Amino acid sequence: MRKIYITSALLSLLGLADALYLTIEHLTGQTVRCTIVSGCSEVLASRYAVVGGFPLAGIGAAAYFTVFSLATLAVFGYRAAGTLLTPMLAAMFIVSLWLIYLQAFVIRQFCQYCLFSAAITSALLLVVVIGRFVLKPASV
Amino acid sequence: MKRILPFIIILVVLGLALGSAWYLTRTVPATPAVVGQPAPSTSPGSQASPAIEQPVVAGVPGAEPAHTLGPANAPVHIEEFGDFECPPCGLFHPILKEMEAEFGNQIQVTFREFPLVPTHQHALAAASAAEAAGLQNKFWEMHDLIYDRQQAWKTQFDVRGVFEGYAKELGLDVDRFNRDVGSDLVQQRIFQDGKRGHSLGVKGTPTVFMNGREVPFEQLPAEQFRVVIQKELAAKK
Repeated sequence: MRKIYITSALLSLLGLADALYLTIEHLTGQTVRCTIVSGCSEVLASRYAVVGGFPLAGIGAAAYFTVFSLATLAVFGYRAAGTLLTPMLAAMFIVSLWLIYLQAFVIRQFCQYCLFSAAITSALLLVVVIGRFVLKPASV
Repeated sequence: MKRILPFIIILVVLGLALGSAWYLTRTVPATPAVVGQPAPSTSPGSQASPAIEQPVVAGVPGAEPAHTLGPANAPVHIEEFGDFECPPCGLFHPILKEMEAEFGNQIQVTFREFPLVPTHQHALAAASAAEAAGLQNKFWEMHDLIYDRQQAWKTQFDVRGVFEGYAKELGLDVDRFNRDVGSDLVQQRIFQDGKRGHSLGVKGTPTVFMNGREVPFEQLPAEQFRVVIQKELAAKK
Protein backbone atom coordinates (compact mmCIF):
# COMPACT_ATOMS: atom_id res chain seq x y z
CA MET A 1 0.00 0.00 0.00
CA ARG A 2 2.97 2.30 0.45
CA LYS A 3 3.09 3.29 -3.23
CA ILE A 4 -0.63 4.01 -3.16
CA TYR A 5 -0.20 6.36 -0.21
CA ILE A 6 2.81 8.09 -1.78
CA THR A 7 0.80 8.62 -4.98
CA SER A 8 -2.11 9.95 -2.90
CA ALA A 9 0.15 12.37 -1.05
CA LEU A 10 1.59 13.71 -4.32
CA LEU A 11 -1.84 14.04 -5.94
CA SER A 12 -3.21 15.83 -2.89
CA LEU A 13 -0.38 18.36 -3.18
CA LEU A 14 -1.63 19.21 -6.69
CA GLY A 15 -5.14 19.62 -5.30
CA LEU A 16 -3.81 21.73 -2.44
CA ALA A 17 -1.95 24.04 -4.85
CA ASP A 18 -5.08 24.42 -7.02
CA ALA A 19 -7.38 25.13 -4.07
CA LEU A 20 -4.87 27.47 -2.48
CA TYR A 21 -4.54 29.44 -5.71
CA LEU A 22 -8.32 29.78 -5.95
CA THR A 23 -8.55 30.85 -2.32
CA ILE A 24 -5.96 33.58 -2.82
CA GLU A 25 -7.66 34.73 -6.01
CA HIS A 26 -10.98 34.77 -4.19
CA LEU A 27 -9.67 36.67 -1.17
CA THR A 28 -7.88 39.27 -3.29
CA GLY A 29 -10.85 39.63 -5.63
CA GLN A 30 -8.87 38.74 -8.73
CA THR A 31 -10.87 35.83 -10.10
CA VAL A 32 -14.20 37.34 -9.21
CA ARG A 33 -13.59 39.75 -12.07
CA CYS A 34 -14.98 38.36 -15.32
CA THR A 35 -12.34 37.26 -17.82
CA ILE A 36 -12.27 36.09 -21.41
CA VAL A 37 -10.84 32.67 -20.69
CA SER A 38 -13.03 31.27 -17.94
CA GLY A 39 -16.31 31.28 -16.12
CA CYS A 40 -14.54 31.32 -12.77
CA SER A 41 -15.96 34.74 -12.01
CA GLU A 42 -19.51 33.44 -12.31
CA VAL A 43 -18.67 30.42 -10.18
CA LEU A 44 -16.72 32.34 -7.53
CA ALA A 45 -19.20 35.22 -7.48
CA SER A 46 -22.09 32.83 -6.95
CA ARG A 47 -23.64 32.32 -3.54
CA TYR A 48 -22.35 28.74 -3.57
CA ALA A 49 -18.73 29.91 -3.42
CA VAL A 50 -18.96 30.83 0.26
CA VAL A 51 -19.99 28.44 3.04
CA GLY A 52 -20.61 29.88 6.48
CA GLY A 53 -18.55 32.94 5.64
CA PHE A 54 -15.57 30.92 4.42
CA PRO A 55 -14.51 30.68 0.76
CA LEU A 56 -15.33 27.18 -0.49
CA ALA A 57 -11.90 27.04 -2.10
CA GLY A 58 -10.34 27.55 1.34
CA ILE A 59 -12.34 24.64 2.71
CA GLY A 60 -11.12 22.61 -0.28
CA ALA A 61 -7.52 23.55 0.52
CA ALA A 62 -8.02 22.39 4.11
CA ALA A 63 -9.50 19.12 2.82
CA TYR A 64 -6.54 18.49 0.50
CA PHE A 65 -4.12 19.27 3.32
CA THR A 66 -5.95 16.75 5.50
CA VAL A 67 -5.68 14.13 2.74
CA PHE A 68 -1.97 14.91 2.37
CA SER A 69 -1.47 14.55 6.11
CA LEU A 70 -3.36 11.24 6.28
CA ALA A 71 -1.54 9.82 3.25
CA THR A 72 1.86 10.89 4.63
CA LEU A 73 1.10 9.32 8.01
CA ALA A 74 -0.08 6.16 6.24
CA VAL A 75 3.20 6.00 4.27
CA PHE A 76 5.02 5.86 7.60
CA GLY A 77 2.84 3.06 8.93
CA TYR A 78 0.07 4.86 10.78
CA ARG A 79 -2.71 2.42 9.84
CA ALA A 80 -5.56 4.49 11.26
CA ALA A 81 -4.64 7.33 8.90
CA GLY A 82 -4.88 4.99 5.92
CA THR A 83 -8.28 3.81 7.08
CA LEU A 84 -9.59 7.37 7.38
CA LEU A 85 -8.40 8.25 3.87
CA THR A 86 -11.16 6.36 2.01
CA PRO A 87 -14.20 7.94 3.74
CA MET A 88 -12.53 11.35 3.57
CA LEU A 89 -12.00 11.03 -0.19
CA ALA A 90 -15.50 9.60 -0.68
CA ALA A 91 -16.96 12.68 1.01
CA MET A 92 -14.79 14.98 -1.12
CA PHE A 93 -15.88 13.11 -4.24
CA ILE A 94 -19.57 13.56 -3.40
CA VAL A 95 -19.01 17.28 -2.79
CA SER A 96 -17.18 17.49 -6.14
CA LEU A 97 -20.12 15.88 -7.93
CA TRP A 98 -22.47 18.37 -6.30
CA LEU A 99 -20.24 21.28 -7.36
CA ILE A 100 -20.10 20.03 -10.95
CA TYR A 101 -23.88 19.76 -10.94
CA LEU A 102 -24.11 23.38 -9.70
CA GLN A 103 -21.72 24.59 -12.40
CA ALA A 104 -23.50 22.68 -15.17
CA PHE A 105 -27.15 23.26 -14.31
CA VAL A 106 -27.44 26.15 -11.86
CA ILE A 107 -24.60 28.60 -12.55
CA ARG A 108 -24.21 27.38 -16.16
CA GLN A 109 -20.53 28.27 -16.23
CA PHE A 110 -17.50 26.10 -15.67
CA CYS A 111 -14.39 27.17 -13.81
CA GLN A 112 -11.39 25.17 -15.02
CA TYR A 113 -9.72 25.27 -11.61
CA CYS A 114 -12.82 23.73 -10.02
CA LEU A 115 -12.89 21.05 -12.72
CA PHE A 116 -9.21 20.34 -12.13
CA SER A 117 -9.93 19.94 -8.43
CA ALA A 118 -12.77 17.52 -9.19
CA ALA A 119 -10.43 15.52 -11.44
CA ILE A 120 -7.79 15.34 -8.68
CA THR A 121 -10.37 14.20 -6.12
CA SER A 122 -11.65 11.53 -8.51
CA ALA A 123 -8.11 10.34 -9.23
CA LEU A 124 -7.33 10.21 -5.50
CA LEU A 125 -10.43 8.16 -4.75
CA LEU A 126 -9.71 5.84 -7.65
CA VAL A 127 -6.12 5.28 -6.54
CA VAL A 128 -7.09 4.57 -2.93
CA VAL A 129 -10.05 2.33 -3.82
CA ILE A 130 -7.94 0.33 -6.27
CA GLY A 131 -5.19 0.06 -3.69
CA ARG A 132 -7.42 -1.00 -0.82
CA PHE A 133 -10.09 -3.10 -2.46
CA VAL A 134 -8.85 -4.29 -5.86
CA LEU A 135 -5.15 -4.91 -5.52
CA LYS A 136 -4.03 -7.19 -2.74
CA PRO A 137 -1.95 -5.23 -0.21
CA ALA A 138 0.91 -7.70 -0.53
CA SER A 139 1.23 -7.14 -4.27
CA VAL A 140 1.27 -3.32 -4.09
CA MET B 1 13.24 9.79 14.05
CA LYS B 2 11.10 7.74 11.66
CA ARG B 3 8.05 8.28 13.84
CA ILE B 4 8.33 12.06 13.83
CA LEU B 5 9.42 12.39 10.16
CA PRO B 6 5.83 12.40 8.76
CA PHE B 7 4.90 15.18 11.17
CA ILE B 8 7.93 17.19 10.07
CA ILE B 9 6.91 16.71 6.40
CA ILE B 10 3.32 17.75 7.19
CA LEU B 11 4.49 20.84 9.07
CA VAL B 12 6.86 21.79 6.24
CA VAL B 13 4.01 21.53 3.68
CA LEU B 14 1.71 23.51 5.98
CA GLY B 15 4.37 26.18 6.38
CA LEU B 16 4.98 26.36 2.63
CA ALA B 17 1.24 26.59 1.93
CA LEU B 18 0.61 29.32 4.48
CA GLY B 19 3.81 31.15 3.54
CA SER B 20 3.01 31.19 -0.17
CA ALA B 21 -0.57 32.28 0.58
CA TRP B 22 0.72 35.11 2.77
CA TYR B 23 3.31 36.17 0.16
CA LEU B 24 0.88 36.09 -2.79
CA THR B 25 -1.78 38.00 -0.86
CA ARG B 26 0.76 40.65 0.04
CA THR B 27 2.10 41.04 -3.50
CA VAL B 28 -1.28 42.01 -4.97
CA PRO B 29 -0.65 45.61 -6.04
CA ALA B 30 -1.87 47.98 -3.37
CA THR B 31 -1.44 51.03 -5.57
CA PRO B 32 -2.88 51.29 -9.05
CA ALA B 33 -0.61 51.09 -12.08
CA VAL B 34 -0.48 54.17 -14.28
CA VAL B 35 -1.96 53.54 -17.67
CA GLY B 36 -4.10 55.18 -20.27
CA GLN B 37 -5.11 58.72 -20.86
CA PRO B 38 -3.97 61.66 -18.77
CA ALA B 39 -6.22 63.36 -16.28
CA PRO B 40 -8.60 65.77 -17.99
CA SER B 41 -7.80 68.72 -15.74
CA THR B 42 -4.52 68.20 -14.00
CA SER B 43 -3.33 71.45 -12.52
CA PRO B 44 0.45 72.04 -12.59
CA GLY B 45 0.74 72.08 -8.83
CA SER B 46 -1.51 69.14 -8.16
CA GLN B 47 -0.44 66.57 -5.61
CA ALA B 48 0.66 63.38 -7.33
CA SER B 49 0.26 59.99 -5.70
CA PRO B 50 3.34 57.72 -5.70
CA ALA B 51 1.77 55.53 -8.41
CA ILE B 52 2.14 58.38 -10.89
CA GLU B 53 5.89 57.83 -10.90
CA GLN B 54 5.32 54.53 -12.71
CA PRO B 55 5.74 54.48 -16.50
CA VAL B 56 2.70 55.65 -18.42
CA VAL B 57 1.27 53.28 -21.02
CA ALA B 58 -0.78 55.16 -23.56
CA GLY B 59 -3.85 53.41 -24.85
CA VAL B 60 -5.33 53.75 -28.32
CA PRO B 61 -8.54 55.78 -28.57
CA GLY B 62 -11.87 54.04 -28.08
CA ALA B 63 -15.12 54.66 -29.94
CA GLU B 64 -15.82 58.33 -30.58
CA PRO B 65 -17.78 60.06 -29.30
CA ALA B 66 -17.50 58.12 -26.05
CA HIS B 67 -20.50 57.59 -23.80
CA THR B 68 -19.91 59.98 -20.94
CA LEU B 69 -21.83 61.38 -17.99
CA GLY B 70 -20.73 64.52 -16.17
CA PRO B 71 -18.74 67.55 -17.26
CA ALA B 72 -15.60 67.12 -19.37
CA ASN B 73 -13.67 69.39 -16.99
CA ALA B 74 -14.55 67.32 -13.91
CA PRO B 75 -11.44 66.76 -11.76
CA VAL B 76 -12.04 63.00 -11.63
CA HIS B 77 -12.51 61.01 -14.81
CA ILE B 78 -13.74 57.45 -14.34
CA GLU B 79 -13.53 55.10 -17.31
CA GLU B 80 -15.20 51.72 -16.94
CA PHE B 81 -14.67 48.74 -19.23
CA GLY B 82 -17.78 46.67 -18.74
CA ASP B 83 -19.62 43.60 -19.94
CA PHE B 84 -23.38 43.71 -19.48
CA GLU B 85 -23.58 39.97 -18.70
CA CYS B 86 -20.76 39.96 -16.15
CA PRO B 87 -22.14 39.60 -12.58
CA PRO B 88 -19.48 41.81 -10.91
CA CYS B 89 -20.25 44.53 -13.51
CA GLY B 90 -23.91 44.22 -12.54
CA LEU B 91 -22.91 44.65 -8.90
CA PHE B 92 -20.66 47.63 -9.72
CA HIS B 93 -23.43 49.40 -11.67
CA PRO B 94 -25.43 50.64 -8.62
CA ILE B 95 -22.16 51.62 -6.90
CA LEU B 96 -21.24 53.86 -9.82
CA LYS B 97 -24.75 55.33 -9.86
CA GLU B 98 -24.38 56.06 -6.14
CA MET B 99 -21.06 57.82 -6.77
CA GLU B 100 -22.56 59.84 -9.63
CA ALA B 101 -25.33 61.05 -7.32
CA GLU B 102 -22.92 61.73 -4.47
CA PHE B 103 -20.11 63.50 -6.31
CA GLY B 104 -22.19 65.16 -9.06
CA ASN B 105 -20.18 67.44 -11.33
CA GLN B 106 -16.91 66.47 -9.67
CA ILE B 107 -16.74 63.25 -11.66
CA GLN B 108 -17.10 62.32 -15.29
CA VAL B 109 -17.97 58.72 -16.09
CA THR B 110 -17.17 57.02 -19.40
CA PHE B 111 -18.45 53.57 -20.31
CA ARG B 112 -16.46 51.36 -22.68
CA GLU B 113 -17.81 48.16 -24.18
CA PHE B 114 -15.79 45.08 -23.32
CA PRO B 115 -18.05 42.07 -24.04
CA LEU B 116 -16.32 38.87 -23.00
CA VAL B 117 -17.06 36.55 -25.87
CA PRO B 118 -17.43 33.55 -25.71
CA THR B 119 -17.55 33.39 -21.90
CA HIS B 120 -20.80 35.35 -21.96
CA GLN B 121 -23.09 34.26 -24.77
CA HIS B 122 -25.33 37.35 -24.68
CA ALA B 123 -22.69 39.98 -23.90
CA LEU B 124 -22.22 41.05 -27.52
CA ALA B 125 -25.98 41.27 -28.09
CA ALA B 126 -26.32 43.40 -24.96
CA ALA B 127 -23.46 45.69 -26.00
CA SER B 128 -25.01 46.01 -29.48
CA ALA B 129 -28.39 46.88 -27.99
CA ALA B 130 -26.86 49.59 -25.80
CA GLU B 131 -24.88 51.02 -28.72
CA ALA B 132 -27.94 50.92 -31.00
CA ALA B 133 -29.90 52.83 -28.36
CA GLY B 134 -26.97 55.24 -28.22
CA LEU B 135 -27.54 56.08 -31.89
CA GLN B 136 -30.94 57.40 -30.78
CA ASN B 137 -29.35 59.23 -27.83
CA LYS B 138 -30.60 56.73 -25.26
CA PHE B 139 -27.39 54.88 -24.47
CA TRP B 140 -27.42 55.48 -20.71
CA GLU B 141 -31.11 54.66 -20.40
CA MET B 142 -30.57 51.34 -22.18
CA HIS B 143 -27.31 50.77 -20.24
CA ASP B 144 -29.20 51.15 -16.95
CA LEU B 145 -32.10 48.92 -18.03
CA ILE B 146 -29.78 46.15 -19.21
CA TYR B 147 -27.76 46.20 -15.98
CA ASP B 148 -30.79 46.57 -13.70
CA ARG B 149 -32.45 43.54 -15.30
CA GLN B 150 -29.32 41.45 -15.83
CA GLN B 151 -30.66 38.54 -13.81
CA ALA B 152 -33.85 38.46 -15.87
CA TRP B 153 -32.32 38.29 -19.36
CA LYS B 154 -29.00 36.51 -18.90
CA THR B 155 -30.66 33.11 -18.56
CA GLN B 156 -32.84 33.56 -21.66
CA PHE B 157 -32.08 31.50 -24.74
CA ASP B 158 -32.67 34.35 -27.20
CA VAL B 159 -32.29 37.89 -25.87
CA ARG B 160 -33.04 39.85 -29.05
CA GLY B 161 -36.73 40.07 -28.21
CA VAL B 162 -35.92 41.15 -24.66
CA PHE B 163 -33.76 44.06 -25.81
CA GLU B 164 -36.31 44.99 -28.45
CA GLY B 165 -38.83 45.18 -25.60
CA TYR B 166 -36.49 47.51 -23.71
CA ALA B 167 -36.19 49.68 -26.86
CA LYS B 168 -40.00 49.95 -27.00
CA GLU B 169 -40.09 50.78 -23.31
CA LEU B 170 -37.62 53.61 -23.86
CA GLY B 171 -39.67 54.98 -26.74
CA LEU B 172 -37.06 54.24 -29.39
CA ASP B 173 -37.79 53.82 -33.08
CA VAL B 174 -37.81 50.02 -32.90
CA ASP B 175 -37.33 49.42 -36.64
CA ARG B 176 -34.27 51.61 -36.62
CA PHE B 177 -33.07 49.98 -33.40
CA ASN B 178 -33.32 46.52 -34.98
CA ARG B 179 -31.42 47.70 -38.05
CA ASP B 180 -28.74 49.42 -35.95
CA VAL B 181 -28.11 46.44 -33.66
CA GLY B 182 -26.43 44.52 -36.47
CA SER B 183 -24.96 47.54 -38.24
CA ASP B 184 -21.29 48.02 -39.00
CA LEU B 185 -21.33 51.29 -37.07
CA VAL B 186 -22.41 49.59 -33.85
CA GLN B 187 -19.99 46.69 -34.29
CA GLN B 188 -17.16 49.12 -35.05
CA ARG B 189 -17.86 51.07 -31.85
CA ILE B 190 -17.69 47.88 -29.80
CA PHE B 191 -14.52 46.86 -31.61
CA GLN B 192 -12.89 50.26 -31.02
CA ASP B 193 -13.68 50.16 -27.29
CA GLY B 194 -12.32 46.62 -27.10
CA LYS B 195 -9.18 47.71 -28.91
CA ARG B 196 -8.66 50.51 -26.41
CA GLY B 197 -9.22 48.08 -23.55
CA HIS B 198 -6.65 45.63 -24.90
CA SER B 199 -4.15 48.45 -25.42
CA LEU B 200 -4.57 49.36 -21.73
CA GLY B 201 -4.06 45.78 -20.64
CA VAL B 202 -7.68 45.14 -19.70
CA LYS B 203 -8.11 41.41 -19.09
CA GLY B 204 -11.46 41.27 -17.39
CA THR B 205 -14.48 43.24 -16.32
CA PRO B 206 -15.21 45.49 -14.63
CA THR B 207 -11.91 47.27 -15.09
CA VAL B 208 -12.00 50.86 -13.93
CA PHE B 209 -9.52 53.63 -14.57
CA MET B 210 -9.49 56.83 -12.59
CA ASN B 211 -7.64 59.69 -14.21
CA GLY B 212 -5.66 57.16 -16.19
CA ARG B 213 -4.75 54.89 -13.28
CA GLU B 214 -6.33 51.49 -12.88
CA VAL B 215 -8.35 51.16 -9.69
CA PRO B 216 -7.57 47.76 -8.13
CA PHE B 217 -10.55 45.43 -8.32
CA GLU B 218 -10.67 45.01 -4.54
CA GLN B 219 -11.21 48.78 -4.20
CA LEU B 220 -14.42 48.77 -6.24
CA PRO B 221 -16.89 48.08 -3.38
CA ALA B 222 -18.76 51.30 -2.50
CA GLU B 223 -16.90 52.14 0.72
CA GLN B 224 -13.45 51.71 -0.79
CA PHE B 225 -14.35 53.29 -4.11
CA ARG B 226 -15.74 56.37 -2.34
CA VAL B 227 -12.42 56.77 -0.51
CA VAL B 228 -10.48 56.42 -3.77
CA ILE B 229 -12.58 59.19 -5.36
CA GLN B 230 -12.20 61.41 -2.29
CA LYS B 231 -8.43 60.94 -2.32
CA GLU B 232 -8.28 61.71 -6.02
CA LEU B 233 -10.38 64.85 -5.51
CA ALA B 234 -8.13 65.92 -2.65
CA ALA B 235 -5.07 65.37 -4.85
CA LYS B 236 -6.56 67.58 -7.55
CA LYS B 237 -7.19 70.53 -5.22
